[in-house]
Amino acid sequence: MYKQESKAGSFQWLLLISVFVVATCGLIYELVAGTLASYLLGDSVTQFSTIIGTYLFAMGIGSYLSRFLKSNLLSWFISIELLVGMVGGFSAGILFILFEQVVYFRVILYTLVILTGTLVGLELPLLMRILKDRIEFSDLVSRIFTFDYIGALFASLLFPLLFIPYLGLLRTSFFFGFLNVVVAWIVAYKFRNEIRSYHRLKWSAVVCLLLLASGFILSEKLTALAESLTYPDKVVYARSSPYQRIVLTRSVMDWRLFLNGNLQFSSADEYRYHEALVHPGLAQMKAPKHVLVLGGGDGMAVREILKYTSVETITLVDLDKVMTDLFQSNSALMKLNHHALTSPKVRVINTDAFVWIREHQKTFDFIVVDFPDPSNYSLGKLYTVSFYKELYRILAPQGCLVIQSTSPFVAKNSFWIIDRTLRQSGFLTTPYHCYVPSFGEWGFVLGYKESLSQHFNLPKDLRFVNEETIRQMENFPPDMRVAESPYNTLNNQVLVNTFEKEWADYTR
Amino acid sequence: MISRRKFVKHSMQAAAGSSLLLSALQSCTTPSAYPSNLVGPNAQLGHMLRTGKFDAPSESSSADVVIIGGGVSGLSAARYLKKYTGNFILLELDNDTGGNAMAGSNAISAYPWGAHYLPLPGNNDPELIAFLQKANVITGFENGLPVYNEYHLCFDPKERLYINNFWQEGLTPREGVPEKDRQEIERFLALMHDYKDQRGSDGREAFAIPVDHSSQDKKYRVLDSISMEEFLAQNKFTSPYLRWYVNYCCADDFGSSLADTSAWAGIHYFASRKGKAANASSDTMLTWPEGNYWLVKQLRKDVVSQIKTNTLVYSVETTATGVSVLYFDAATNKTKQITAHAAVLATPQFINQRLLKPSLNRALDYTAFQYAPWMVANITLDATLEERKGEKLCWDNVIYGSDSLGYVNATHQQIGFHGNQNVVTYYKPLLGSDIKKLREQAYRATIEDWKTTTLQDLRRPHKDIEHYIKQFDAWVWGHGMIKPSPGFITGETRLQAAVPVEGKIYFAHSDMSGVSIFEEAFYRGHTAIRRILERDLFKIS
Repeated sequence: MYKQESKAGSFQWLLLISVFVVATCGLIYELVAGTLASYLLGDSVTQFSTIIGTYLFAMGIGSYLSRFLKSNLLSWFISIELLVGMVGGFSAGILFILFEQVVYFRVILYTLVILTGTLVGLELPLLMRILKDRIEFSDLVSRIFTFDYIGALFASLLFPLLFIPYLGLLRTSFFFGFLNVVVAWIVAYKFRNEIRSYHRLKWSAVVCLLLLASGFILSEKLTALAESLTYPDKVVYARSSPYQRIVLTRSVMDWRLFLNGNLQFSSADEYRYHEALVHPGLAQMKAPKHVLVLGGGDGMAVREILKYTSVETITLVDLDKVMTDLFQSNSALMKLNHHALTSPKVRVINTDAFVWIREHQKTFDFIVVDFPDPSNYSLGKLYTVSFYKELYRILAPQGCLVIQSTSPFVAKNSFWIIDRTLRQSGFLTTPYHCYVPSFGEWGFVLGYKESLSQHFNLPKDLRFVNEETIRQMENFPPDMRVAESPYNTLNNQVLVNTFEKEWADYTR
Repeated sequence: MISRRKFVKHSMQAAAGSSLLLSALQSCTTPSAYPSNLVGPNAQLGHMLRTGKFDAPSESSSADVVIIGGGVSGLSAARYLKKYTGNFILLELDNDTGGNAMAGSNAISAYPWGAHYLPLPGNNDPELIAFLQKANVITGFENGLPVYNEYHLCFDPKERLYINNFWQEGLTPREGVPEKDRQEIERFLALMHDYKDQRGSDGREAFAIPVDHSSQDKKYRVLDSISMEEFLAQNKFTSPYLRWYVNYCCADDFGSSLADTSAWAGIHYFASRKGKAANASSDTMLTWPEGNYWLVKQLRKDVVSQIKTNTLVYSVETTATGVSVLYFDAATNKTKQITAHAAVLATPQFINQRLLKPSLNRALDYTAFQYAPWMVANITLDATLEERKGEKLCWDNVIYGSDSLGYVNATHQQIGFHGNQNVVTYYKPLLGSDIKKLREQAYRATIEDWKTTTLQDLRRPHKDIEHYIKQFDAWVWGHGMIKPSPGFITGETRLQAAVPVEGKIYFAHSDMSGVSIFEEAFYRGHTAIRRILERDLFKIS
């Protein structure tokens, strides 16, 4: 028998509102998965269409499976809503965490999508069956689908306009999971007299809500962990040393090393950078014996230096032991640097270059200074007159040093400040630059005490540098020149301020 | 790739934006406990001076000169004297020398407990310049100007002010300050700048370091009869921003407020620093992670063997041939006597009052010497602080509207990479006119009290600072700095204090200058020794 009219009305409305919420949540999970997949895996068109397709197909599976649920439809409906809330709510968080750890990321991604889709697909048929005896069929179909589509519109508009900007991806997903579970609980409460397992459902709902709420609260930490979003390629190694975040990515094309998110090299063209860094200076030295490398823990510069048979010792000073260990032990990376760091000629010292150099006395014939760009005040100290004067002190009279000097195209004022600072510290200089596809136009400055020989003793197997290239590298077109430059000191840090501004303008 | 970055950036910002709920939840949890200590001078030994029961001295020795007090003035005196004789002794109450320039250290950095910088000294101060040259702070001269060792010049970025929820560069309020107030600040600074170049009718600089080299011209001396507050009012400076700034400056240099600082001293802060360098702007500071304790180490380098710490001098009197100094040696638990031709008291007047026998001919109104109490906290942080918008962490970081002086980053002058760990030194002069009460309160306050007030202040720019603290130590200076109250600089008492007793007891403490700065202490130390040497009391070796 039908219940009283008013009670039946509220009953209907409650279930229809839950249709609305279910539809909204369902679409949100789909959008979250699509967005995540396109940002994590790239190629948004492919990712979105395959995710949506899979999701819709999974809903079909769910609809099909609904026929096997014969009795206790209300408790089934509530249980499924709880499950959807949990799976959907946690899907984004799970994908974030697993992306870096798991090789078969796609498998997990699509499993989650299918699971969510199936559960969401179960909901509507179940609901229709619950309501079929209580509402006229034509009314039922019309109302259910109306609410379903309104929910979809609601979700698809609010997702990009409100939820992503204000809650972020993870929180959105947890939030809707929460909403889903709340609706399930309310439905369970309203129909507590019609279902046998009300208490079991109530307690499940409470547990689900607690879990989702803690996920919501912790999602800030998860987001911080999910740096993978910043990298275009697959992250194969990620570790924080006390000094920096080291991330290695791999694609079909190349290996890439990022320090604190900044590209250090791409294996596809790093030879250009490292040949240009080492050879124009070192090839002009007459039988160089002792070489110092500051920074450059990847061993690539050392690889180039080892091509000179006269070299007896290479001292590599790099702050970060994690970095030098990685390039001394990982076989793929050692292939890149030709096992340079394990050469008996090489001595690796893990300490602060500035502190080390102030205490060092013996001179070197050639010095490579390959620090990260002067993007903060700590690094800026390594580009000052004070530091260069220490370099001057430990450079042999006929020796020469080279400094990686950022991009003379993007940060031309910064580049020329480095040149000016070297001259202020007593060096004669030769600035030069070359094109490294993954970096763009890149600059270096040679510093020396006595004019260089201009006679180049280049190793045979170089791929980029020859005498002709060197001549070209020394030519600066007008768009990479400046009229005048200040010099960088510890107490003005003019380089950091200039560099920051130039790169900010460029990347704006 | 850029769009992907932007996406992440936005979703991070969104995460930050919606963290209100989060922080509300987090604030329920108490921050983890970290060690906190109240440190300070050797109070126990110092207290014995008041209780005053000592056995008769068990042994006696002699020297040419005894210097009492191992602060900057005492060490400067010792270093100067060493050029003429090695037969002297310096007695210091504490277990280390340094006085107001004391420092501490931990695994992350050395840090100051007091004075922490020296402005470029004027080029008419040859003795200070020579000392800095010896210490390799000045490496040479170019066009007559000293070339400073870059390692000792304050690195960039130097100063920032937290105002209107923003860290602006520099300390004069600017960000969000109305045009009218900015103009007033400009007018004030221009006026101060004028004073810098002025000379009195006697040809002397209007405001000089040392203070006693300043002009005696009435035109300037009359400024000592009013407070800095009255000076501002007379010159129609009413901007609250300017008032805060000038009050901050008085607190910074003297530990006293606008109302309690003589206008002469207040202007002296702005108009006396005239140092120039060949390789730095004239407003650059010399500073070190350990603050002026670095200078202390240079001062005492050659006199280490003459220094005796943990010794409490309790009596100084004149004899027929010179002086007799009685002290308690805490190391051996014995009282001892030293006789010498002369004594230099490099101790503040409130100590001198207890050391000198009342029978001695020194009629001095000791109450004229008032000292501002201070609290200095060193806070060790194990991660980079969360920052508000604007300028990044500087050497000096000041909070607008606060009555503290903000904090100095001790690791700023470190050359090597120190990761994200920092030690910051927080300075708080206790401002007010009832000094006695303030001092009692300061002595009564527990480390928890200091932590509460300090963090309350620092939470404004760094809301989660508690979560980053690894260690919190505080030092209370009961008598931190001499207060140049109106009338003190031009008053007779200050000059009387410097008059030697019977040609045998000399005074060197910087409280006699009315301003508590390194230059004055250095000058006072030298002056005392010069006067002794003039009298030919002993054979110069």
